[in-house]
Amino acid sequence: MSPIAILALIIGIPSLLLLIYVFVRGSTGLRRYILTRIGLTLPMIFILATMVFLILRILPGDPVTSALGPKGTPEQIAHIRTTLGLDKPLVVQYGTFLWNMVTLHFGNSLVGGHRPILDEMSERFPATLELILPASILALLIGVYGGALAAAQRKRVVDFSLRIYSVVIYSLPVFWLGLMLQLLFGLRLKWFPISGRIDAVIGTGLKTVTNIYSIDALLSGNGPALLSVLQHLVLPTITLGLILSGVFVRMTRVNVIETLHCDYIAAARARGIRERVLIYGHALKNAMIPVITLIGLQVAILLAGAVLTETVFSWPGMGSYLVERISARDYTAVQSVITVFAMLVALISLAVDVIYSLVDPRVRY
Amino acid sequence: MNRKIFVAATVGALMMLLLVSCKPKAALAANIIIGTTDKVASLDSADAYAVHDWEVIKNISDGLLTWKPGTTDLEADLATDMGKISPDGLTYTYTLKNGIKFGDGTPLTATVYAAQLNRLLTIGPKCPNDVADTLAVPYVKSITAPDDKTIVFQLTTPIAFFPQILAGAPYVASDPNIFKADACNLFPTAPVYGVGAWYIDSYNADEQMVLKPNPYYTGPLKPQAKQVIVRFYSDPNTMALAVQSGEIDVAWRLFSPDQLTQLKGVSKLSIGTINGGAIRYLILNHTQKPFDDPNVVKAIASAVDRNEIVDKVYGGQVNPLYSMVPPGFLGATDAFDKMYGAPNLDAAKKYLEASGYSAANPAKIELWYPPEHYGASTAAWMQVIKKQLEATGEMQVTLQAQEWSTYAPALTGGKAYGAGVLGWFFDYPDSSNYLDPFVFNRGEGTNVTTPQEGSLTGIPINDKAKQLVDLLNKADIETDQAKRADLYKQAQDIYADLVVTLPLFYQAEHVVYRSDIKGSSAYATAETLNIGPNIVFYYSLIKKG
Repeated sequence: MSPIAILALIIGIPSLLLLIYVFVRGSTGLRRYILTRIGLTLPMIFILATMVFLILRILPGDPVTSALGPKGTPEQIAHIRTTLGLDKPLVVQYGTFLWNMVTLHFGNSLVGGHRPILDEMSERFPATLELILPASILALLIGVYGGALAAAQRKRVVDFSLRIYSVVIYSLPVFWLGLMLQLLFGLRLKWFPISGRIDAVIGTGLKTVTNIYSIDALLSGNGPALLSVLQHLVLPTITLGLILSGVFVRMTRVNVIETLHCDYIAAARARGIRERVLIYGHALKNAMIPVITLIGLQVAILLAGAVLTETVFSWPGMGSYLVERISARDYTAVQSVITVFAMLVALISLAVDVIYSLVDPRVRY
Repeated sequence: MNRKIFVAATVGALMMLLLVSCKPKAALAANIIIGTTDKVASLDSADAYAVHDWEVIKNISDGLLTWKPGTTDLEADLATDMGKISPDGLTYTYTLKNGIKFGDGTPLTATVYAAQLNRLLTIGPKCPNDVADTLAVPYVKSITAPDDKTIVFQLTTPIAFFPQILAGAPYVASDPNIFKADACNLFPTAPVYGVGAWYIDSYNADEQMVLKPNPYYTGPLKPQAKQVIVRFYSDPNTMALAVQSGEIDVAWRLFSPDQLTQLKGVSKLSIGTINGGAIRYLILNHTQKPFDDPNVVKAIASAVDRNEIVDKVYGGQVNPLYSMVPPGFLGATDAFDKMYGAPNLDAAKKYLEASGYSAANPAKIELWYPPEHYGASTAAWMQVIKKQLEATGEMQVTLQAQEWSTYAPALTGGKAYGAGVLGWFFDYPDSSNYLDPFVFNRGEGTNVTTPQEGSLTGIPINDKAKQLVDLLNKADIETDQAKRADLYKQAQDIYADLVVTLPLFYQAEHVVYRSDIKGSSAYATAETLNIGPNIVFYYSLIKKG
């Protein structure tokens, strides 16, 4: 079983169970809402895929001649065009593309090893997942608690500092921040490794099952490998997590401040509940509802950030794969990765909306 | 979540940071880690057509002939000697050494070897990277083994540079248990064995490849490390930082001039410069106006100052090129320098005025270039060329940029563009590979010949082009190297006179390594870790400590 199949099972089965649970136990309104959202997601994915297909074909240049370069003979060009079905009419190509997308047969890469794109993505996707999950957690930890702290300390030094932090960190280019962290913590202080997912030598002893190295190291009980994986995760996670945290700080701060003006907070305050409990125990919970929506919206930014972070840290994930394939004019791979990214964003948005509807019973279609 | 959880999470995160900042034990000295910005595209010798793939293949397997490390000189490898060539130059016969085995213990016989080489002719052209259509099918008619010791190559046409082709990666002995006769196997499951000094123990095309010594290897290049790990980088900047920090021992091949300047100032690092075979030049289409006028192309050749490009754009990190054949290759000359002494604006003006051009009636020239394919500096040096040509006062230059996928076929197709920039890297380290492709059969868009059915060279457009074609044909079949060198010298003079293309500069390759890494003093160019102009990196020759 391929790593991506294992991952699909690990993520897919609990998600499916959760959806079934919500569907069975939820109210009629909730069921209708979920069905409507699923109904809207499918055409959205279809439109996105169609746009990707058309844009790549509108762009000037022929991918095959580009991939082969000046040394490509007419026979080689014709051979590859036939293999890829590029000699067929556009409508036929589009139909094949859609069918392949549905069946997850993305075809073979145009350059390099001409490997099946699904194989390449199944090797790369776990690396991206291993990066974006801790980065999201870090961004949420800093963002939510930073925002709440700023709200609690409103118009004081801490508040101003956190507001400045949120603007500055959000506007920093990811690659610049990554490079600075590499230079400081990797090159000068030598605290953390500069690149890759695991030490080259230690990595030779790691048996991979899921391709999420931290899980693989845990499964195989390989302590040095786990330590090395965690070390390699630090700088890219901080880079991506810090960049994302800025929006969460601002959003949480504004929502907590608004919530603090609510009647139930005034009532709680009148009952003598301590300010700290009010903010972190009562106001923050309600303020989190819009933040959940923001998480869904940030997924696209997270993936875009992952593209740059992975490139800077030579992290062999989907982002660096996309950059490599764009450079190589591997249109088949580019089309597949963008489609997968689009599907991922759409599905996570769907999941966030479902969670949102559970958290806030007022949300219904 | 309450404050306690937050505090616990923060403390946990800090502890984790502290924990992970404790480095695991350093890698054993017996490991050598080589960083590269290349990727593995194919490990099948019947298919692979990329510098890095050839590097790996040449490390895990050997061929009948090979290059002496650090040079392009040939020597016998699996063959007992340099072989016998029939008087008509069509038959090459080699005798195999005794006792050669693959890494899994399978003996190599001539029968097995010939059968594996025949994959080049049978399934090779159907494989995706299709090296066979360039380096086998046009030259080799058949490969046979009359007995278990003898291999016979029957060629389609006599070519004196066949031994250079034979020394390359496509002609190494591939393992019949891994590379079957009827299928391409670009990414075989590890371990991947050959008859070379190393075998591939494991690899992941995106992260790293682990090579271990072949226990059955009996050749001269004995491994000096327990294992070699080739680590793949997507960004040369990150690779440069990694070699500085000591994460890798060697960083190999693609660095920008800025990175090299910075790395030169780092202690504990050495930089080896290899005058490799990557060249840049202008394609001039001899059937399009105004480049169909010999005076115009000569004026261009007279006006271009290569040193200004080298110094201003590349800070001296590339070298001026005065012939398509780079220095170090057989018969290389400075033909363009001798003929035009560029920059010589007076001479350029004379050529232009001889064709009726003047300040009032300048020659209108369009120069095309791909802004992204050869790096960001391309636009800068195209601007330099524009200024140099316009300094004659009699040429008006328009620069046109086009994305590579449109640009390459348009330029080399020989119909759309009059002139444009292109790069070249040899398929085999021989002068013929720097001249023939630009002259024969439309010459990559130069159009000094027109293609003809059944002809390998095409029809020359004028007498000088015919002279050039004849000389190159003669050189291609001449087996006496001194005579070949002389023929190439003559050919380069005519090439420069015709200005078939305009060579501009050649790029050196760079290997950056830490101070505890050494090349072998038993072979040439230990300072470049014995990597020679053929860009073959033998991992066995490097030593750590």
